[in-house]
Amino acid sequence: MFTQSAANRKTSNIMTVKERRDQWLGLAFASPFILGFLLLTMIPFGQSFYYSLTEYDLFGEPQWVGLGNYQKILEDPAFYKSLTNTFFMAFIAVPILLTVSLMIALLLNLKVKGIAVYRTLYYLPVAIPVVANSILWLWILNPQYGILNTILRAFNLPDPAWLLDPMFTKPSLIIMGLLGTGGGALIYLAALQGIPKEMYEAAEIDGANAWSRFRHITLPALSPVTLFQLIMGLIGAFQIFTESFIFANGATGGPDQSLLFYAVNLYQEAFVNLHMGYASALAWILFVIVMLITLIIFKSSLRWVYYGGE
Amino acid sequence: MKKTKILVKLPVLCLFVVTALAGCAEPNQAEGKKTVKFWYTWQGPETKEMEKLIDEFNASQDKIKVEGLSQGDVQKQLTAIVGGNPPDLAVHPDENRLASWAHKGAMQPLDPYIKKSGYDLNDFVPGAREAVQYKGKTYGIPMGMNTWMLYYNKDLLKEAGFDGPPETIQELKKYAKKLDRTKENGRLERLGLNPGANFQYIWMYSFGGKMWDPESQEVTPTDPGFRSAVELIGENWKRHGAKNMDRFQSGLGKYNSAQNPFLAGKHAMSIDGIWLASFIDKYASDMNYGIAPIPYDENHPEAKKTGYMNVNLLYIPKGAENPDAAWEFLKWVTAKEQMVKFDSGIGNLPPRKSAIGDPAFDKVPGIDAYTKYVKERDLQPLPSLPFMTEYLAEIQKQTDAIYRKKTSLDDGLKEIEKNVQPKADKILKK
Repeated sequence: MFTQSAANRKTSNIMTVKERRDQWLGLAFASPFILGFLLLTMIPFGQSFYYSLTEYDLFGEPQWVGLGNYQKILEDPAFYKSLTNTFFMAFIAVPILLTVSLMIALLLNLKVKGIAVYRTLYYLPVAIPVVANSILWLWILNPQYGILNTILRAFNLPDPAWLLDPMFTKPSLIIMGLLGTGGGALIYLAALQGIPKEMYEAAEIDGANAWSRFRHITLPALSPVTLFQLIMGLIGAFQIFTESFIFANGATGGPDQSLLFYAVNLYQEAFVNLHMGYASALAWILFVIVMLITLIIFKSSLRWVYYGGE
Repeated sequence: MKKTKILVKLPVLCLFVVTALAGCAEPNQAEGKKTVKFWYTWQGPETKEMEKLIDEFNASQDKIKVEGLSQGDVQKQLTAIVGGNPPDLAVHPDENRLASWAHKGAMQPLDPYIKKSGYDLNDFVPGAREAVQYKGKTYGIPMGMNTWMLYYNKDLLKEAGFDGPPETIQELKKYAKKLDRTKENGRLERLGLNPGANFQYIWMYSFGGKMWDPESQEVTPTDPGFRSAVELIGENWKRHGAKNMDRFQSGLGKYNSAQNPFLAGKHAMSIDGIWLASFIDKYASDMNYGIAPIPYDENHPEAKKTGYMNVNLLYIPKGAENPDAAWEFLKWVTAKEQMVKFDSGIGNLPPRKSAIGDPAFDKVPGIDAYTKYVKERDLQPLPSLPFMTEYLAEIQKQTDAIYRKKTSLDDGLKEIEKNVQPKADKILKK
């Protein structure tokens, strides 16, 4: 054993005493996470899969129903309604908000006097907790007394009933999201500042106009960040809950069920109707959907994401 | 250096341990005394009335100590019961969930206690007694009772040429239409009648309707009486359109405030509980209003004898540590004397027949009309069904779709039946 060459030793399982001690020490330091992950994530994960194959109301013993819950979900109109609403937020709201945060980042990247103040101002709304923010927007969007409609009326524009009109509830959420784009903008801003100036200089010398420079340098250089923000945004959109809960007065789904998001429906089944098995099955379907979408985006990213150095 | 740091840290650590231990020791201080953890859903000034009674009970004997906690979220009680650490006694603000919780075994049947201590349930109004029973067993004791009546703004009615309140549904519809007010731009300014968006189960009594058939064990949302109730609530929506209704409702003031829509003249007539009279007394004492029975359909004169009521209730959760002690307090606090004190203090109606009309209630605004109403009528609670919350949620969902013209009246009602009946079959056949 000790005759193995040093090069071999690196790839083999044999470790020196110090290495072994380091490994245990490393694991010990990482143990809070590992234990937490196993106890608080992996075990409940497995349990929820088991429950998804049963009927369980928290009191009696879980009754085995096999794939019955999954079958029922496919026949449940609330499932499709909630999925449609959630897809709207994921595939319409997220891209809009991402575009806006990029535009804000571009503005915040300008060299104007007092830019630090603007940056702070744009980031400030992100610091407001979701619940407080939602209650604030409940007032801003009040059709009768809200500031938004007061302004719209002053310009003789139509003043929708926002959170009460099923057609406008989700767009209301997008408008509300606009004020929270400072977080995404900040990440974009950091990425923007990481783009080497030489590239722009070279392009300028070659006669590229502002649009070409943006299209062929800025966008590709930002693409890894866009990928990150897109995935985080989608995952966030699939879990959207709080806003609906506050705007619709609990997990009711709001006017014409227009705010019945996937997580709201899940909450309703689990904690109001106590269908823990059914809700677990819902959670697993959501998990699969999010996994699939993330996978598709990752695969497609090979074609549109550019990493420096490649 | 290291040593000094430890020297500093050690006492701090000890301090933590000592405080933690002290915290643990506290509940055991009174030896032999049983503690009853009591979670109730009353809030604000109501808390004071309940705490007064708890103090009185604690001072009256030295075997049991009741610790009250105002805890508005009923869902938390369930979490605690499931988690195996429930209170010994808890309150539900209404009876909607009782059958469901009893069915699951989250509540203990009280019959053994009732029998052992000779507790007399016959003093309770029949509807109140039914409300706390499921499959022949009693799971809670009602503490307060509510019913809904028609409030009408005398000045606004006079202005429109009406001398008294409407007595029949036919009159009510005429009144409501005439009392509506819209601005020149077509926007709603005042509703003649606020029937309550989700009060189908109240109005159905006016049409001799029902939502459950105990014979066939079927939900009956398509029952003609229930259908008429859904239709009646939809009249405002039909007349003004969903957009206008949404906008109007969003502009209404907070319920428990001087801007309450009835107080502010935004509703000329409104269906509400006895507490509205207290709001008026508090915020608009010079208001000229009246309280009348909910109108009945001309074609159903028998509807004059019934109506809707609900109760709040105390129950002993499954897994309670001191159920016997909890019963002792439960028995005491729901006795006539305590009930009169509490209900008159917070302006509720008492579910005990012997307490209705007690002089202590004279100070409660609106009491005369309500006392007369509950004495004259055989009021009914919601049927005691273990899927009631789901049934009500489905009614709310479908009627919302009906009022918004996303579906027709008959299709929506059939949809309720289609979605709820399988749940009923499954639960009841178990």
